[in-house]
Amino acid sequence: MLDIQIKNQFINILGKDRYLDRIEELACYAYDAFVVEALPDAVLFPETTAEVSELLKIASRYKIPVTGRGAGTSLCGASIPIRQGVVLCFSKMDKIIEVNTRDRYIIVQPGVVNADIQKALLPFRFFYPPDPASMSTSTIGGNIAMNAGGPRCLKYGVTVDYVLGMEVVLASGDIVRFGSRNVKDVTGYRLSSLFCGSEGTMGITTEAILKVVPLPEATRTLMVTFDNLDNTAKSVTDIIGSGIIPVAMELMDKLTLNAIEDSANLGLDRNAQGSLLIEIDGVKEACEKEMNKVIEKVRQNGAIHIQEARSDIERENLWTARRSAYGVFAKLAPDIVTEDVTVPVSQVPLMIRQIIEITDKYGLKVGVLAHAGDGNMHPMIPADKEDKAEWEKVKSAFSEIFQAAAELGGTLSGEHGIGLAKAQFLPLVMNKDSIDFMKKIKRVIDPDLILNPGKFV
Amino acid sequence: MIPKPLQNCGKCGLCLNVCPVYKILKQEQTSPRGKLQLIKAYDHNTLASSDLLKDIVSKCLMCGSCTASCPSGIDHYSEFMEMRKKMADVQGETLAIKSLIYLLGREYRLKFGSGLARTGQKFVPDKVAKTIKLGNIPLKNFPKLNSTPFRNANDEIILPYKKQIGTVLYFTGCATNYLYEDTGFAFIEILKHIGYKIIIPKDQTCCSIPLLFHGASDKAFKNIITNINALTNHEADAIVVDCSTCGEALKNEYPRIMENQEQGSVEAIKIASKVIDSLSFIDQHFDLLEFDPNVTDKISVTYHAPCHTRNSFGSNTLAEKLLSKLAFVNYKQASDVNECCGGGGTFFYEYPEISKKMVDKKIKNAKAVQASLWITDCPVCRMNLSGNLDLDDKLKVIHPLTLIHSALKQI
Repeated sequence: MLDIQIKNQFINILGKDRYLDRIEELACYAYDAFVVEALPDAVLFPETTAEVSELLKIASRYKIPVTGRGAGTSLCGASIPIRQGVVLCFSKMDKIIEVNTRDRYIIVQPGVVNADIQKALLPFRFFYPPDPASMSTSTIGGNIAMNAGGPRCLKYGVTVDYVLGMEVVLASGDIVRFGSRNVKDVTGYRLSSLFCGSEGTMGITTEAILKVVPLPEATRTLMVTFDNLDNTAKSVTDIIGSGIIPVAMELMDKLTLNAIEDSANLGLDRNAQGSLLIEIDGVKEACEKEMNKVIEKVRQNGAIHIQEARSDIERENLWTARRSAYGVFAKLAPDIVTEDVTVPVSQVPLMIRQIIEITDKYGLKVGVLAHAGDGNMHPMIPADKEDKAEWEKVKSAFSEIFQAAAELGGTLSGEHGIGLAKAQFLPLVMNKDSIDFMKKIKRVIDPDLILNPGKFV
Repeated sequence: MIPKPLQNCGKCGLCLNVCPVYKILKQEQTSPRGKLQLIKAYDHNTLASSDLLKDIVSKCLMCGSCTASCPSGIDHYSEFMEMRKKMADVQGETLAIKSLIYLLGREYRLKFGSGLARTGQKFVPDKVAKTIKLGNIPLKNFPKLNSTPFRNANDEIILPYKKQIGTVLYFTGCATNYLYEDTGFAFIEILKHIGYKIIIPKDQTCCSIPLLFHGASDKAFKNIITNINALTNHEADAIVVDCSTCGEALKNEYPRIMENQEQGSVEAIKIASKVIDSLSFIDQHFDLLEFDPNVTDKISVTYHAPCHTRNSFGSNTLAEKLLSKLAFVNYKQASDVNECCGGGGTFFYEYPEISKKMVDKKIKNAKAVQASLWITDCPVCRMNLSGNLDLDDKLKVIHPLTLIHSALKQI
């Protein structure tokens, strides 16, 4: 509980309706999509930049921890208030300020849901490329804080590649603006790269100018199956190596394919050891040319079945199969853990083998799913958190998977972030000087360490 | 007792954007994920019962959209139903809800109550009726009660116009029986037209969903037994419903509730296997419908998909398909055809402010397509939508059965 005097100061700014501190309400802000929980002292719902600034001034004065939150879909616990204090929830600061496809940008408040941006752009035949699996729910503020990615980021890049400008409130309450409405802009430091992916430890985004792109003229989608997982992975490196960058290249192993088929009956090849969902977009003629090349490459790698979607419905069915993978695995046990280690594309075959070896060693079930084109692996392990012995095995397995990825020149996280989940593994991929450098920057910007404390920095 | 589900909520948050209440209030405790968290805490004795807890749990339309979209396959619907019962037991119910439960618990009370209310409707001066609101709906906009309950106005057995091709049992639900007889008469005419013998079991009663939503499971159980008996006393090819909420009860809740009972469990499963909503039934017999060739003027129609039609029968797309097949209909889809209207049983009465925001949005988008008829196959949606339109509004809300019947050829 906050001191009554501090509480009143917050309420003076927000009113009673936008200040929550009863236990029934706080209990619902103790979690996100990660497995740890911690109760905040209060939840605040600002609606304007001025309010955010005033709230942060108070938090600074009394050194109250502040944890930002959008829709609470973080997979690494970034939005869990592990040191209590206040949760700054942006669900009500959700206006689309300007859509300008002529100049190729959209200006939004942090609480706007990713899918609503897509909806606003569709009539103009534009889209915003970053497409995290949570996009129907997750907010742009959270996407920016986590530098979110998604399947089509293989071709289009991740969130930071689309942030043209930002308005950020610092811990002190100062309001800083940088970047602009211009696609080209080298005025000053490119600070978006500092705040984007900072997981709420550097400042609070209150407005963002995002780059948007026209919808492609044509989209082609292929489902290819192989009788060998190595060949599946090798096709990925071959296609990328031949100079083609598909929109997405999603890999699924046999266990995943069969699990999907068990529940959805989509007619997937049950005997296949691996499969790739490949999508290409662009100008019609270019697509045709690239498609032929892709087919040539998968054939060379012994593809046993190649199926192209002939209609939007068929295309949707293929994507439904891919998207349902998580849900299907989630039903195999009371809980499911999924991580997102990432390796250079050439190491994908080796990484997959190691994931399977490690989980086999611990006797765990694993579904291997990957945004394979950018080496972003998603091993999913269904398990029971209540089963202490099994849970320890899951933790050990992931620890070894992180180690293996690091040894292959990979990294801890491709798109989920570090948060609480992987903070302890940071030394695997960063030396002490580099970690200290991040800490120095953090201390300059947030000297009292009130912004999302207890996380990776 | 509901067996504890295998899955834990993974807190992915995909239920947030499908929850009509969360979308308005934008606070986590109003979301399905938040409610599950509170239910778990209550069940593990880490959270005590309170008025606030009951209020949070009740602030739900029981639309089932979270259950339908959950990747982990969690049955929120049953979890919420169970929790509502616990809260009603521990915290008690308001007088208004208690009266409703009292009425719905016994058919004769309902009849008596509706008689009284009809008298009341006559005696409330217009001036008063115009200013009083029940929930978010002005009293003057409430439908007039049927002058005779629909089931009393019909014979128990009705024979078809043509050669009989089968027999159906018609579960009318309370809405058709007491409020919207036009739906019932249209359905009977269509069934006669297709060639079905219709049995309307006299001793059927409230399906019990409103009772279950408010935790009155003992009274609900009695109603369920009564209905199981009423529906198994006759042989029929199908049990048809014109209200998808009643349909959901017969199809999903009855087998679940009767599962561990010594008597009635087999019958409940048999009933569930025969239940079909009116639109699916008509779609299956579409080729047998003969339309009046003189009906040539096109009428522009839009549709509101009730949550229970969408989540329990998946026949919302069917409704749109049917409307597109009707030669005299110019179907215009509203951009939010699948969004909840905020009616939700008694939700519009308990949380008028939230409900009003939802229904106003629905009305705005329905008007944007400039239709003259607004079709919906749920009586509560109909009451909520039409109740929030002006009485002289050009847009009229009716059941799809009424629309289809209006264009049939006289036999």
